[in-house]
Amino acid sequence: MFVTAILIGLTLLTIYMSKAHSYLSDKPETCINCHIMAPQYATWGHSSHREWTNCNDCHVPHNNIFNTYYFKAMDGLRHATVFTLRREPQVIFIKKQGSKAVHQNCIRCHSALLIDPKLSSWTEDHDGHRTGRKCWECHREVPHGRVNSLSSVPDARVPHPSNPVPEWLRNYLKN
Amino acid sequence: MSSNLKITEKRPWLAWVLFFATIVVVFLLGLLASSIVERRMEATFVNVPKAKIEEFEPRNEVWGQNYPRQFQSYYGTADTTFRSKYGGSATVDMLEEIPEMVVLWAGYAFSRDYKQGRGHYYAITDVNNSLRTGGPLKPDEGLQPSTCWTCKSPDVPRMMKQEGVAAFYTGAWARLGSEIVNPIGCADCHDETTMNLRISRPALVEAFERRGRDITKASYQEMRSLVCAQCHVEYYFNKKVVEGANYLTFPWDNGFTAEAMEEYYDDIEFSDWTHAVSKAPMLKAQHPDYEVYMTGIHARRGVACADCHMPYISEGGQKFTDHKMQSPLNNIANSCQVCHREEATRLVQDVYERQDKVIESRHDLEKQLVRAHVEAKKAWELGATEEQMKSILMGIRHAQWRWDYVAASHGGSFHSPVESARTVANGISIIQDTRILLARLLAHLGHNEPVPYPDISTKAKAQEFIGLDMKSLREEKQEFKKTVLPKWTEEAEKREAAWSVSLTN
Repeated sequence: MFVTAILIGLTLLTIYMSKAHSYLSDKPETCINCHIMAPQYATWGHSSHREWTNCNDCHVPHNNIFNTYYFKAMDGLRHATVFTLRREPQVIFIKKQGSKAVHQNCIRCHSALLIDPKLSSWTEDHDGHRTGRKCWECHREVPHGRVNSLSSVPDARVPHPSNPVPEWLRNYLKN
Repeated sequence: MSSNLKITEKRPWLAWVLFFATIVVVFLLGLLASSIVERRMEATFVNVPKAKIEEFEPRNEVWGQNYPRQFQSYYGTADTTFRSKYGGSATVDMLEEIPEMVVLWAGYAFSRDYKQGRGHYYAITDVNNSLRTGGPLKPDEGLQPSTCWTCKSPDVPRMMKQEGVAAFYTGAWARLGSEIVNPIGCADCHDETTMNLRISRPALVEAFERRGRDITKASYQEMRSLVCAQCHVEYYFNKKVVEGANYLTFPWDNGFTAEAMEEYYDDIEFSDWTHAVSKAPMLKAQHPDYEVYMTGIHARRGVACADCHMPYISEGGQKFTDHKMQSPLNNIANSCQVCHREEATRLVQDVYERQDKVIESRHDLEKQLVRAHVEAKKAWELGATEEQMKSILMGIRHAQWRWDYVAASHGGSFHSPVESARTVANGISIIQDTRILLARLLAHLGHNEPVPYPDISTKAKAQEFIGLDMKSLREEKQEFKKTVLPKWTEEAEKREAAWSVSLTN
């Protein structure tokens, strides 16, 4: 009985501390639960994409709802593991699965633009490039800019998760 | 429970297995929870500034502890090696370059000493060393008012808070010598908690209010120019706002052009000084940089001061704003070439071409103005009446105001070449009309020949011509630097040593 209670208690603490419940939402703030994602948040927050997209709009596939949540769960678990084990690299690069999802999402929103015949006439071999390459091989600044190491934006003000110890407890401990 | 007990009664070793397995699971889960707690707590410490910056903290070094890159680049303003054709960060004695200025400013402190300003880092040093501030030995002595400090230091908002704005503007310059010691820096433009851009000088806020605009509604991009416009603007000291105070005021009520400001000054019958040679009621333009800039094409396209004078730079994979405010000609790659894909030499040529053309006419106006002043002097000598001189003196006032509006604006001939050229052209037209009146008056008074142009080929000769005793002015300054200045520094060091800096964690 006690053992089970301890286990449940510890699990609840882990859920609370890791803000596990927030992962069900699409809020970009959720992605900086891990503070190492601050540069990605800050650069997105200074880009035009912030007006229309959140992280999941681009980084999670949207072809069907099961795939969306499957991808989100797998990716989330991998991230959580890496972060907890302190295995994050200094510079984060997108993985193959992730880049496939992003590319499909570029197309999902910008399809009208992509099939616009005017674009083909303006931009040399846009047809060839858009099928053979990834969008950001040319549109390199979209949307995170080019400087993206963990320490690239030390002064950016991003809404990091606040201190998990409640205010009343902190005050009580202080006195 | 009871069934569990039954199982373990039969196999006692299973109880031990369960016991130890639980220990291991709780231990590991605890480790996981602790790791998560630790990483979660990291977020509350990551990139949190080290030092707690108090309100009105004037010491740039304290801010620098939190923002080392910005601070170090700010210190770049100490560099005096760059010299462009007409500007840069080196000290250039402008009176030596253009001795006509001495005559144009006769009777005003600018005729004593006028050097091209160095970087923000030298704001305090240069104002203390300028002959314009004289050599006051006591706090209530000297020819300049305390208002002259307004643009020199982040100590100014601190003192304004302490004394009140009108009280700050009251009294002599020397009164605040020991209080104002930190050169233009962080607190002049930044909020101490959010680092947002902030207007710290009331004159700009008041000027906006009189124009019916609320400066707190200014956009971020506007603020990247407006923080500069706290100081890089035309201003005057209004003595009518508060009794005894030289209240710093921007003459913007009618607009930013030379004509609009002139109308403002004429309406209130304001003059900075009476000219020592011609007795004209003169106006002195004080670097209307922002105003001239606002009439130019870059302003029209939404480019802010900071875009060219403080462009973004990348250092060690970090992008930040270069706080070395300087001539963009010393940093073309990060300023001009961000938008203009041309060769650097071509771009410099474009700048110099505009400056050359404006300055060509400006020099012409300079000489005409000197002639007008000496001709007016001749007219007075020949017994001209005030009535006869009235429109002539107003002509000199208006023409020289236009000349000064262009000459005093740093970089104005590039910021807005068309407006600068137009203003100089109007000045030439006015001074020509005035000199026709002068020629008629002189002829009427019996002098029907040219008045000789004085020998003002050097600064020394020009200063002698207007009767300045430079030797005593320099001695007075030396005395001040020997006796008063060290005391100011000592007092300031003592005061600042008493301010502790608390660390945030």
